Amino acid sequence: MDYARFVRLRSSTWDQFESRLSAAQKEPRRVGHADLEAVALAYRQILHDHALAASRFPGTAAARRLGVLALRGTHWLHWDRSDRVPGLRQFFAQTFPLTFRAHLPHLVAAVALFATAFVFGTCLAIVQPGTGAAILGPHTIEGLRQGHLWTESLVSTVPPVVSSSGIATNNMSVALTGWAGGAALGLGSLYVILLNGFLLGAILATTVHYGLLGAMLEFVSAHGPLEITLILATAAGGLSLGHAMVASEDLPRPLVLRRASRDALVLLLGCLPWFVVLGIVEAVVSPAPTVPAPLKAGLGLGLEASFLVLAWNPLLRRERR
Amino acid sequence: MSCCRSSGEALERDSAGRPSETTVLGLDNVPLELPVAGPGSRSLAAFLDYLLVGIGAFAWGALCLAVSTLAKPAGWWMFALFLVGFFVIEYGYFAVLEIVREGQTFGKWAVGLRVVTREAARPGPAAFLIRNVVRSVDLVVGVPLMAVDPLSRRLGDRLAGTLVVYEHAPTREPVLRRTPQGWSAQEAALLEAFLWRAPEMEPWRAERLARQLLDCIRHDDPSLAGEIDPALGPVDALGRLVKSA
Repeated sequence: MDYARFVRLRSSTWDQFESRLSAAQKEPRRVGHADLEAVALAYRQILHDHALAASRFPGTAAARRLGVLALRGTHWLHWDRSDRVPGLRQFFAQTFPLTFRAHLPHLVAAVALFATAFVFGTCLAIVQPGTGAAILGPHTIEGLRQGHLWTESLVSTVPPVVSSSGIATNNMSVALTGWAGGAALGLGSLYVILLNGFLLGAILATTVHYGLLGAMLEFVSAHGPLEITLILATAAGGLSLGHAMVASEDLPRPLVLRRASRDALVLLLGCLPWFVVLGIVEAVVSPAPTVPAPLKAGLGLGLEASFLVLAWNPLLRRERR
Repeated sequence: MSCCRSSGEALERDSAGRPSETTVLGLDNVPLELPVAGPGSRSLAAFLDYLLVGIGAFAWGALCLAVSTLAKPAGWWMFALFLVGFFVIEYGYFAVLEIVREGQTFGKWAVGLRVVTREAARPGPAAFLIRNVVRSVDLVVGVPLMAVDPLSRRLGDRLAGTLVVYEHAPTREPVLRRTPQGWSAQEAALLEAFLWRAPEMEPWRAERLARQLLDCIRHDDPSLAGEIDPALGPVDALGRLVKSA
């Protein structure tokens, strides 16, 4: 078959496919079953014409047009089914708990690293009291000398609505950075874990130095346990990403990365809503002098337990993964 | 047709060889060549997107400021809303637009790009989220990674299993419906290329080339040449001869 004859015979099919595809792309909800079948059949014919044109008539306008039509058809008709989005209930009842359990080794590693950095920060601040001043700044240290924690300004300078939104968005940014840092061979997640552990240790030791440990623990007791857990959980997702990049074992690396990133994303999405709750608690409850310390501690433990129960979901059987 | 031969051979050599990394197998193992977008066009699209993010954040800030000025009691609430809105714009712009617009932010739309899977299919929401959560890391390492990768993938693309391709609009190039007997596909391609570009050429140059091509047709297929309309100029006569069925 010569080129012109090929064009004369087949161009009406190409025109039909193009108009059907354009209509379907414009209003996908109006595409009926018959329309979809017609598009799929025409797509198959386009692919075969494209293969013929690419091998027999390369470089021609018809070959180029068929290449474009074949790609447009492939994009519209094929959908990556592995990325099916579960409903909210299924996500929090099954998907998130199963992923959380699967990430337990990375979570344990994150906790161990955090604890190590915490101890290091504590020791350094005890041996070198200047560490606390370097972290908190001279103004805050002066306040500590006078027996005031810097956290008191949370309620005295801005209303809780502002501080809670600021705290929530800041915590979410830290969690997203910890997660995304995993893509840099896990180094970013490591940085977030170690930095948070070191800072917490050093700051607590500094408050001990000024005799304000009790006040500090009272402040962090309502939001601290869950905040640290969430940051470690999202960073554990980042560590699993880094693990997949460094050691993909006997599977192709693109496949391992794809799987690891999807699992780590589930972990991130399961943790993010809790940061909103934490933002409110940290801005409203934690600095409030009217709320008794045992109530704050009870709220902190309650939040932590709620998260762990939802994340682990003891009702979910192990074999379902 | 001696005037076309050399370019035809060049085209043949270019199209020969093994499938490249940008080739995917479609239905029935039909190979499809993906027009992968390079770092330049992707950076331009990203620049336009960040420009829009900046404008959006500024507009949101101005709106919150205006409302808080007009309604004093709502001042702190507007500040809180500004913080939340800024966070949503910063992190949500790319992911939400790519999910809603099937792989196209406004920047990509302006440059003619679209995100697809490695198989040229539509990615799912998880892929769009993943490739955009790591955007902060890609701001540092993205361009070098794209420059060294044959598929121009940044880190987010590698994790999500996606590519960014040019989305060519359906072209209206002239397609020959008649060719002189014995003409190969490469010669037809040359004639099509001439008819596509002729309106942009200087008239005297286009007419001279059209006359040369008409001479080739007269030499190769006298029966077809008999249908050349002498009343028309050479370019129009050539177009009418080969484009009419």
